[in-house]
Amino acid sequence: MLFDNLLRRKNRKSARYTSGSRMYKIFTLITATLLALSLQGCKEDLFPSDKDNRTETIITTVDFVATTTLDEVIDLDALLAEYDAVVLYYTMWCPLCDTHMSYITSAIMPNYPQTAFLMVDYVSGSVSQSRRSQVENGYQALTVIADSDQSLLDQFHATMATTVVISQDKLVLLNEDFKNGARLIDTLNTLGSQ
Amino acid sequence: MITLRPKSRSKLFDLNLKPIGPFLAATIASAAFTGMFVATPALAASCCGGGSATTLILPKGARHLYDFSIDIESYDGFWNQDGEQVNDPAGSDLSQYRMNFGYAYRFADNWQFSAILPLVKNDNVYPGISAQNTALGDTTLSVWYETFDQITCVWQVNTFADLRPAIYIGSSILLPTGKSAYSDGVDNSFEVTGRGLYRWDANLIVEKTIYPVTLNAQGSYGAYLERPVNQEFDNAVEPYDKKLGDRRYLSASVAYTYFFEDVDALTVSAAIADLREGAGKINGQSDPLTEMKKSSVSLSTTYESEDKSWLLKGSWSHAISKDDWGQSFPITDIFTIGVSYVVR
Repeated sequence: MLFDNLLRRKNRKSARYTSGSRMYKIFTLITATLLALSLQGCKEDLFPSDKDNRTETIITTVDFVATTTLDEVIDLDALLAEYDAVVLYYTMWCPLCDTHMSYITSAIMPNYPQTAFLMVDYVSGSVSQSRRSQVENGYQALTVIADSDQSLLDQFHATMATTVVISQDKLVLLNEDFKNGARLIDTLNTLGSQ
Repeated sequence: MITLRPKSRSKLFDLNLKPIGPFLAATIASAAFTGMFVATPALAASCCGGGSATTLILPKGARHLYDFSIDIESYDGFWNQDGEQVNDPAGSDLSQYRMNFGYAYRFADNWQFSAILPLVKNDNVYPGISAQNTALGDTTLSVWYETFDQITCVWQVNTFADLRPAIYIGSSILLPTGKSAYSDGVDNSFEVTGRGLYRWDANLIVEKTIYPVTLNAQGSYGAYLERPVNQEFDNAVEPYDKKLGDRRYLSASVAYTYFFEDVDALTVSAAIADLREGAGKINGQSDPLTEMKKSSVSLSTTYESEDKSWLLKGSWSHAISKDDWGQSFPITDIFTIGVSYVVR
């Protein structure tokens, strides 16, 4: 009798575990797991901080030699002998890159004739392919570096839209995302290279 | 053989599930734009369901909904800021795959809650570099209010009241659970699966079904919350405040539903959508460089099981590869397949 009651209770309990409740458990488990993982991986976005974590050290870069899409070899030392500063902008020929490059071309470059602006293509893999992308995107007039081996990408720990400003004494005055260009303009203004 | 035949209302009322799909993360030629979501109706219009780009919608009377879908998004160039179509670099193959886990729960007669959590894989191959990364995307939480107490789908219009549409009013919040340019441990744009900012959306759905045809219009307006940024791609920078531009999404669709002999149903729908995002702000100054827009068309189909508990769905969202159909945005095709399970 007791056994029968226990069995009936067990059966009723089992009946409650419909496919719906099993689905609920599975989804709850998956969701909870993913959420827990996400909270670990994106704390900086969920709880953003305005703390300045920069170090005081201003990095000095070493010389580099690069090939342009016109197969010309340029090196940093030679450029800095001719210009007040060198600006590197890293492009992967994407919509945002196009917007930035268009803005640099039209709104920034004309105001800083003593600054060398170089676009760094780190995705095309060859000079010819890089040149083709440059032409298709309508930037024939710009100097584009074919960073086929990603050496410039590695040297400045760069990625898409990274903007680097190097002064004549090879100090890296800026190394960050382009955003709206204001930081680039501010940095160039401090050099007085207008 | 597919035949269209009238059903009793009670059965038809069960058709009103409409999870609208996981919306799309349109990444830049890689992942950098991930999170600029473009709607893909993963389930075509059906009786008195509704949805938006950012949520699931429960049918009237249902208590739970579990949804799983997979998006395959392939890139085919982009529109520049002048609206001109530009090809991706020759030899590139750019894709993003998303597994979307969705859940919706009815907590009152006319109120429901939903959550969508995507798992994102970026797969970017260029002639000179390739990268594959997998991480969570941004999570969407939504609350919806149904302005109607009874199903508004009808077979015939006999009175003026039969013309009343189903109207849903909702609010969503996008949680930055994805990997963004500002997250810890993100080295480059290929790893980005989220935008890094909270966004609040106000949503509206208006839908009317007079069998077998359903008309649906959706709109949402979203505002990103400003946040401080002190690092970019794991590189400490001078802290600044960032806000993306307000977002506007509109879509319209028309659907046709076939009923099988055994009460299964197949719905096919076509939609057109328009997504725009305005100028952002950096330290309070306007940042027009983040403005973008995208127009797309889509086809969707949904098969609904006899007991109305299971739904299989598929959709194809296509951005028109021509000038002036977008601005500063990738041109993509998005294929979605998914399944939903409804508990009543």
